[in-house]
Amino acid sequence: MVIKVKNLVKRYGDLIALDHLSFSIKEGEIFGLLGPNGSGKTTAINCILSLLKYDKGEIEVFGELMTPEAYHIKRDIGIVMQNVAVYNELTVYENIEYFCGLYVKDRNLKKKLVEEAMEFADLNEFRNFRPKKLSGGLLRRLNIACGIAHKPKLIILDEPTVAVDPQSRNKILEGIKELNAKGATIIYTSHYMEEVEQICSRIMIIDKGKAIATGTKEELKAMISLGEKITVESYDISEEQFARLRQLPNIVSAEYNDPLIEIKSIKGKNNLENVLEFIKRENIQFGKIYSELPTLNDVFLEITGKELRD
Amino acid sequence: MFAHIFLNRLKCLLRDKETIFWTFAFPLALALFFYLALSNIGKGDAFQGIDIAVVNDSRYQEDQYFRTALEEASKGDDRLFNLTLATGDEAKRLLDDNSIKGYIIDGTPMELVVKESGIHQSIIKSFLDNYSQTFGAVETVLKSNPQKYQEVIESLKDRKNYIKEVSGAGGKPDIVVNFFYTLIAMACMYGSFFGMRETTDIQADISPLAARINIAPVHKLKAFLSSMCAALLIHFIEMLSLLAFVRYVLNIDFGPRAGLVLLTTIIGSIAGVFFGAFVSAVVKKSEGIKIAVLIGVSMLGSFLAGMMSTDIKYTISRNAPIISWINPVNLLTDAFYSLYYLDNLYRYALNIGVLSGFTVLFSALIYLIVRRRKYASL
Amino acid sequence: MPVYNLCIKIIKKNIPTLLIYIIVFLGVSILVSSTAANQQKAGNEFISNKSNIAFISEEDSPLIEGLKDELSKVANFIDIPDQKDALQDALFFRRVVYILRVPEGFTQKFMTGEEIYLEKTMLPDSASNAYIDLSVDKYLNTAKIYMEHMDNITQEGLVAYLSANLSEEAAVTVLPAQTNTDLYNIAYSYNYMAYSLSSVLILGMSAIMLAFNNRDLKNRMACSPISETKSNLQFILASLSFAGVTWLIQIIACFILDMNSVMTPNTVFFIINSLVFTVCATSMGFLFGSIVKGSGAISAVTNVVVLGSCFISGVFVPTELLGKTTLKIASFIPTYWFVSANNQIAQLSQFDLFHIKPVISNIAIILCFALAFFSLSLVIRKNKRYS
Ligand SMILES: Nc1ncnc2c1ncn2[C@@H]1O[C@H](COP(=O)(O)OP(=O)(O)OP(=O)(O)O)[C@@H](O)[C@H]1O
Ligand SMILES: [Mg+2]
Repeated sequence: MVIKVKNLVKRYGDLIALDHLSFSIKEGEIFGLLGPNGSGKTTAINCILSLLKYDKGEIEVFGELMTPEAYHIKRDIGIVMQNVAVYNELTVYENIEYFCGLYVKDRNLKKKLVEEAMEFADLNEFRNFRPKKLSGGLLRRLNIACGIAHKPKLIILDEPTVAVDPQSRNKILEGIKELNAKGATIIYTSHYMEEVEQICSRIMIIDKGKAIATGTKEELKAMISLGEKITVESYDISEEQFARLRQLPNIVSAEYNDPLIEIKSIKGKNNLENVLEFIKRENIQFGKIYSELPTLNDVFLEITGKELRD
Repeated sequence: MFAHIFLNRLKCLLRDKETIFWTFAFPLALALFFYLALSNIGKGDAFQGIDIAVVNDSRYQEDQYFRTALEEASKGDDRLFNLTLATGDEAKRLLDDNSIKGYIIDGTPMELVVKESGIHQSIIKSFLDNYSQTFGAVETVLKSNPQKYQEVIESLKDRKNYIKEVSGAGGKPDIVVNFFYTLIAMACMYGSFFGMRETTDIQADISPLAARINIAPVHKLKAFLSSMCAALLIHFIEMLSLLAFVRYVLNIDFGPRAGLVLLTTIIGSIAGVFFGAFVSAVVKKSEGIKIAVLIGVSMLGSFLAGMMSTDIKYTISRNAPIISWINPVNLLTDAFYSLYYLDNLYRYALNIGVLSGFTVLFSALIYLIVRRRKYASL
Repeated sequence: MPVYNLCIKIIKKNIPTLLIYIIVFLGVSILVSSTAANQQKAGNEFISNKSNIAFISEEDSPLIEGLKDELSKVANFIDIPDQKDALQDALFFRRVVYILRVPEGFTQKFMTGEEIYLEKTMLPDSASNAYIDLSVDKYLNTAKIYMEHMDNITQEGLVAYLSANLSEEAAVTVLPAQTNTDLYNIAYSYNYMAYSLSSVLILGMSAIMLAFNNRDLKNRMACSPISETKSNLQFILASLSFAGVTWLIQIIACFILDMNSVMTPNTVFFIINSLVFTVCATSMGFLFGSIVKGSGAISAVTNVVVLGSCFISGVFVPTELLGKTTLKIASFIPTYWFVSANNQIAQLSQFDLFHIKPVISNIAIILCFALAFFSLSLVIRKNKRYS
């Protein structure tokens, strides 16, 4: 086990930020921590890093109790914090070099690692820029480079891709996968479920400090009773026709927000054929029609009754 | 690791233009302004004679001795008066216009007409008193020794100076130097801006950057010490340059004990940096409040230590000595002044002792705060 | 008036910083007027405040007693033990401003006409020192006349003669002043306004300008349906109301602190002068806002420029104490003209053309500075726009 968290409780005054949170992360995983704003993701990470005092619980990293003085453990951890933490007076290169230097003493090795990190975050063009002159997205990329330059065994990324444009984001996600392929274990928090779905091998959904579901994305989706979701674009469906549509078998719910009809089906049943047939029979004009499998958002919605992203 | 953090820290602080401005350029500019504004104080060339008038009536015309005495006093480069002869009305008008400080009407006793009390008016009066009194003495002498007339008149010209100035110690008491000492003391306290940055960048509950450092496999106190060293080094150099500027460019006297002056500057610089680190560690979050506290303490301290007016310093030290003893700017100013002015080092040692005491206290408190590595909240 | 409102909003945001300067101004003015109130009590009597001195005599003689009596007219004697440390300390902390030491054998040598001196240690600045010097000098020189020319005079006889002579004093008439002496003090407050006015106005104006130079805001303004002339007009209006309020606060403070002189005609001139200076400071702020980028740089530049100009033009240190070169440099700064106008106004007691002409010309010079700053910033802004 790379990380083992047991019954972690953290209070801020009256507010319970983490409520008996337990999970463990195996070596080589990309572990996704998914939850809405204020659900306690950052708090959990800060507890793992021994930055925050917690009220109850045990935390082990690499099989050892984590303490602020456990430098040999810290040496193998890389962290990309949610808030950009770089020196405004140092250039892009100097910042990476500085943080890398806190972990790596050997000069040549350090130099090589810094260059690789620059490459990783695609910052070569901006080598001599000060952070003030970087755009928000570039700053995020610098933040990432500073966190992973020393090639740690455990990388913790706390919403690293906020404000990063799609191409760069994909590049970063690919990079993370690559780091993982080279043996790094990764904790990745986000409230972009697409990202989490895209790269994480295992996902934990938390809400209000509680873990509400853990598993691979397939496992998570299997947990809910929802099947495919069919969306039909239509401009001339009448009230009666819509009422009749709802009567079709295997349908859980149907909603009509002009011009889109959303039809949710029972899990395990293929419903597209039925719906198509109905439309043809009733002679309803339609534009597009498509079917999707449930997303993590649907999972979250089903468990908590609210949307993951507001 | 020390070198790595130290060197990077140097780079950071040196590139922080705003802090460098406030800790270095600003005191330097202020020193220059002080110099421009104060360089004339205490130098003779400011005095160019007092403008007076005398009512040119028949009495004055006939009073040969007084006329001679007055004319004598209004001649030459080091003259006491710039004399105008006028009729009574003219003199009054001149006084109204502030063209003259006062006018004299010859008589027994002499009459002086002025508009207000002031040092210039006192000097005119003193001159008149002196004249009538000397004249009275001459009259008394001549009454019993009328034959000595010529002799007495001769001896009147031979006035003697009976007072000699002896200086107390190495330096003369001088308020102008005090302004510069306060300024250097203030600049030392401005070192607190560096100290503030150091705690801000090491206390995880203050800044995300500090949290980032806390996660690195570096002993926190070691990291803190390395970066404090960088801050101290930069501030030392700034203070030494300021000292050199004031001493050699502006020619302000610091007394004969150069080594101790340097030591005092260094102790002041340490006190300033640690003070800032302390305030920053205690106040935690709000940067605005921190800066307000630091500027407030150093500016109020400088004001109470006499940077705007030395009278304030002495009023405080007489009426509320406790304030002088807890005011770091005043402690430093007095330390410099003792070195310049006093023979023995007792007062100097006392000032430096108290200041070092504060510094040690601050460092102890900083240690207690910085030692902690886990936070209740970030 | 959206632009106007925006400007006012920006100023409101900066109020805490700006308030510091106003509070400092009020503090200084109150300090000045309270010391002025003290002085006024002493104003009718001629030189009543005596300075504290230490008189240390290593011998006792009627002559020295006489000297001490004479000195008691101009000084208070403070007892300080005759130890070097104690004496130095007393000077250091201003318990005394002057130490006079009569060395052993002074009387004897004096009576025989040998060369001998009293020793003084003093603080150099205090004007009362000169007065004490004069007093000692007068006593001993008069004594010298008797000694040299009265044969076989005894010390006692000498002292008797002296005390008879020294009671003769010139009669001093303090004219019921037509100009109010308060005016000097109030002039100090008005002079000090140069510091607070310029600080507040430059900081405030450049805060507005900084916000307007922000690219996003500029673009948004360009897209808004308000014409440039209109927005400029609103901007000017906002600056003027800001300057006006700042000025008004301080003027009212001056009035409240010195009710007596409000009704004098001098006040009118003080008001005009400070108003013109306000305009000048505003256009200076406009200039700074056009040149300097970044709020950190603004406060740096403002502090240096304002403090510097105030120091060398006689706001903090009275003009009479400044050197000629310093004043020559200062004459390139509007503050200098503002201060000298105030000082002249304080002395005005007749208001015919002849007397007010120098004041008017000083004010005119400040106005020229204002115009110069304003046009300079327009030129700079124009160049910037095209670059
Ligand atoms: N220093 C603190 N003091 C008090 N409450 C805090 C503090 N830090 C966080 N909280 C509270 O703890 C809860 C969890 O916060 P946390 O930052 O862990 O959320 P998060 O999941 O990281 O959210 P986000 O997606 O916005 O980053 C929130 O309700 C937050 O308001
Ligand atoms: Mg978070």
